Amino acid sequence: MATTCSISISSDIAPGFGGISESMTLTQAGTLTDIDSTTGFAIRKLSATGAAILVDMSQELIETKDSTAAKIFIRNIGYRGVIDKSVGVTVLIASEPIGKLYGGDWMMIPLTGVDADDVSVNPATDDTVVIEYVMFFEEN
Amino acid sequence: MATTTAAVTLTSDLLSDNMSVSASTTCMKAGTTADGLDQMEYGYLDLPTGDEYDLIATTPTATKASKLYLKNHSTDETYYIAITQNTQAIGRLYGGDWMFIPADFHDSDGDIAITANGGTNKICYALFHEGTALLAT
Repeated sequence: MATTCSISISSDIAPGFGGISESMTLTQAGTLTDIDSTTGFAIRKLSATGAAILVDMSQELIETKDSTAAKIFIRNIGYRGVIDKSVGVTVLIASEPIGKLYGGDWMMIPLTGVDADDVSVNPATDDTVVIEYVMFFEEN
Repeated sequence: MATTTAAVTLTSDLLSDNMSVSASTTCMKAGTTADGLDQMEYGYLDLPTGDEYDLIATTPTATKASKLYLKNHSTDETYYIAITQNTQAIGRLYGGDWMFIPADFHDSDGDIAITANGGTNKICYALFHEGTALLAT
């Protein structure tokens, strides 16, 4: 076993679209060697607007190797079982907004691992919301 | 209502016990619980080396919801696509890697830009969204 991630997308927007079903094994950059480090699975509770850092690249207990094959999974899991599709949390890399995760939404995105490229989240409202995340990376 | 769902299963043995996460979401228009994304682009391209290209030729309207799937279908694991947004380096997709993000096309510089490395990369992408500012001829 290794670290694997599969995605399945179905949609009836376009007639004839057969959907997408893909899987990947997370490997180290440019090799078939399994990725070797993780932050572990964590959650972050947010109750106010304003950016909060999920991953502070310069403060990770295991230093990330720069510009390799790091990836992060992030999901908006709502709060106490209530998932609100109308309220979003913006995910940022450094200061660049990547997109907004509404209740239940998830994302999987590659990262640079560079010290300045922290991963942050910024909720649109003061409503309490919980974000779960896990980063996989190469140890420096 | 158009319905687009995206499901993920993530497993890893890097921790002392195996981790497994499964989730599924229905992709809705921004801030609504009743109306799903209803427009999409889907493509499979050769991405040559040498230049940075905007992946999305038209710009979905800012403040609206978009979901972007992108996979590097290159079979050579040393090939990769560098992803940037608004000059901010995001990360690399090596051969076989994919990503799925809620893309924020907040302005004309907010496009996802991609650069091939190692050789011509083959990519597949799908953009699910709720509105596009078409480019006039």
